[in-house]
Amino acid sequence: MRVVIAEDSVLLREGLARVLRDGDFEVVAQAANADELMKAVRRFKPDVAIVDVRMPPTQTDEGARAAVEIRTEQPQVAVLLLSQVIEATHALALVSDSAEGFGYLLKDRVLEIDDFLDAVRRVGRGGTAIDPEVISQLLGRKRADGPLDELTPREREVLELMAQGLSNRGICERLFVSPKTVETHVNAIFLKLGLMPAQDEHRRVLAVLAYLRA
Amino acid sequence: MTGMRWIQAGLAATGGVLGVLAYEVQMDNLPNTTSLRSWAGVIAAWSFLLAGLIAWRRRPRNRLGPLMVLTCFALLARQFRYSHDELAFTAFFLFGEVCWVLVAHVTLAYPFGRVTDRLEKAFLWVAYTVALAFPLAILLVYDGSRRLRYVDPFPRDSLLLVSAHGDVVDGFQFAFGVVAYGVLASVFVVLVVRKLVKATPRGRRVLLPILVAAVVAAAWSMLNGTLTFASARPPSVTYDLFWWQIIALTALPLALLWGLLRARLARVHVGELVVHLESASVDSLRDELARALEDPTLEVGLWIPDRGIWVDAAGSEVDVPEDGADRAVTLIEHEGEPLAVLVHDPTLREEPKLVEAVAAAARLALVNARLHAEVRSQLETVQESRARIAAAADEERRRIERDLHDGAQQRLVALALELRSAQRQLADSGDPDMRHLLASTADELQVAVEELRDLAQGIHPGILTQGGLAYALEALAARAPLPVAVSATPERFSPEVEATAYFVACEALTNVVKHAGASSAAIGARRDDGTLVVEVSDDGDGGAGLDGGSGLRGLTDRVEAVGGLLVVESSPDGTLVRGVIPCAS
Repeated sequence: MRVVIAEDSVLLREGLARVLRDGDFEVVAQAANADELMKAVRRFKPDVAIVDVRMPPTQTDEGARAAVEIRTEQPQVAVLLLSQVIEATHALALVSDSAEGFGYLLKDRVLEIDDFLDAVRRVGRGGTAIDPEVISQLLGRKRADGPLDELTPREREVLELMAQGLSNRGICERLFVSPKTVETHVNAIFLKLGLMPAQDEHRRVLAVLAYLRA
Repeated sequence: MTGMRWIQAGLAATGGVLGVLAYEVQMDNLPNTTSLRSWAGVIAAWSFLLAGLIAWRRRPRNRLGPLMVLTCFALLARQFRYSHDELAFTAFFLFGEVCWVLVAHVTLAYPFGRVTDRLEKAFLWVAYTVALAFPLAILLVYDGSRRLRYVDPFPRDSLLLVSAHGDVVDGFQFAFGVVAYGVLASVFVVLVVRKLVKATPRGRRVLLPILVAAVVAAAWSMLNGTLTFASARPPSVTYDLFWWQIIALTALPLALLWGLLRARLARVHVGELVVHLESASVDSLRDELARALEDPTLEVGLWIPDRGIWVDAAGSEVDVPEDGADRAVTLIEHEGEPLAVLVHDPTLREEPKLVEAVAAAARLALVNARLHAEVRSQLETVQESRARIAAAADEERRRIERDLHDGAQQRLVALALELRSAQRQLADSGDPDMRHLLASTADELQVAVEELRDLAQGIHPGILTQGGLAYALEALAARAPLPVAVSATPERFSPEVEATAYFVACEALTNVVKHAGASSAAIGARRDDGTLVVEVSDDGDGGAGLDGGSGLRGLTDRVEAVGGLLVVESSPDGTLVRGVIPCAS
């Protein structure tokens, strides 16, 4: 899988590149700002662009804006945004109505190397990677008693992973349970929340996120 | 009586006697004249004497008075050329025309008594030369054999005759008529109009009397034109013009005198000023002074000794120009210290008594105005420094947050990543203790990164920078321990405005959680007419107030520092905190 990295800290950029190479990714270009990123994306047409939200010159949201540009200009290029801070509503606004080939992770998630590489791979294949922090913020919202309270702790765990963008197989591996068990949990969740079962993975993500956001 | 008074009395007496003699000369020598016509010329001259003497007494340092007296004598002396005595004829014919130039001189010298304009000076030089040169030239060739214009009846004998040339006399007379009465009179009218146009608004009012002079000159040149170019004299026209000219000539010195002495009339304004100042506000003080001085361009500067600057009534610094040709500056002192300056029209310099009287009348009001201005000026300074301090603090917080995220945090993440990679490479081989050490160090680093993020978040919410006010408010609501509805405009504002609005919401919400006993709250942010309005309302039991010792006091300071306004409305049904923050659109 071919990857472009946009990150203004050289140290972190190099570190990321090494980790990705060790994980059998091909790092085709490294960029220090949004301009370089756009050039690299147009030239190399990578599978994934890993982009730091804050980059020079203003250190505000250059990366996020570049991400929007990439997704409209080069829809086949997946984008994984890395952010210093995570706020659920902002993250959801960036996911907007297409979770396909899009990820939004807190920067320190790269330290969980296996999960991180898995997220890159997932996004690169057109899947979704939403930071667990976003999901827990959404779940942590004060709301009147509702169907969420009826979920068992295990079902809640499955819901969180589903919302992060993991597939059934991914959930099995994470929870060390059989595919059959996961499927049972998923069906139970959909039933309890009153959602239509969706086989398509990124539609499933959107449906769950929409539910949590409401 | 002083010496000067004796001289003035002597001149008055001489002028009177000379007038009577001039009347006699006309009656004895001019066959067509009437008693009325003869007196008319004398009275016109006397009006110069009267006005000149009064002006001289009232304005001893102004040369206009003596100049008018001199003009009177010149006007009277001119009549003596009608005498049949050849010495009188020669002398007064020679100098007789000078009186008109003196009239022009008086006019152009008004109101300061001096002609300073270069063009006007040049004009007077030429006019004096012409008024002397032509009569002299005529006298050199005049043998008394023909009628001299305006000097009926002939013959007269010139004592200066060198060689008689009748045709040359006629030529000179014609040329003189055209040059002196035609060209010079027209130039004079132009100069008068130019003087009026160039004058300041106040100066123009003072200069109005000289319009009379323009009428004199115009009548003069028309009369001459009629006489020079008309083959037969049209009696009615000549007659009318003669009287117009006499009336204007009599009015001129009186008008000039009125203009010169109007400061006396303006004293009436000082009385009104005293009455008005009783009820006038600090802000209308300037207008009252401008009215009293009849100078709409008046500027008032108040001296602030602590800061060493001049300010206006609002407390803003003003530039006080140098006292010069364009603007005159009068300093008003109070107890030996500078109090205020009046920057006014230079024509007011001629009326120092008026300015003094106005200054005296307004002194108390000016002291009062200065106190006001001082306070306002201090307030302005404080407000400015407050805004600067708030902005600097904001900027500092943003900088620290940025430094933590982009500096320390990045480095720690990078370092932890190195350790994790090393840990993985050692996974299959190597010393288990070493692997364990690497793993725990990386874990520690990860915790440090999280702590650093929380710290940075507390200093300045990163989401405010990254996503804007709406997301920051959403995040704020999400962390609150009670349901908070958010309705915020997705617009971005300047960092100061966003930071201030965020802290209003943050502080107000903290207050709700701590004190209100509310079950829910709402945050709103919207743009409204050049301001950002941020509101936090709750359904608690009220009781919040700006003086309640709550965090709301500090919040007020914070909002006011950026020129905004904080309102707290509290009732038993809940509390509403509203911050209105100015934002450029």
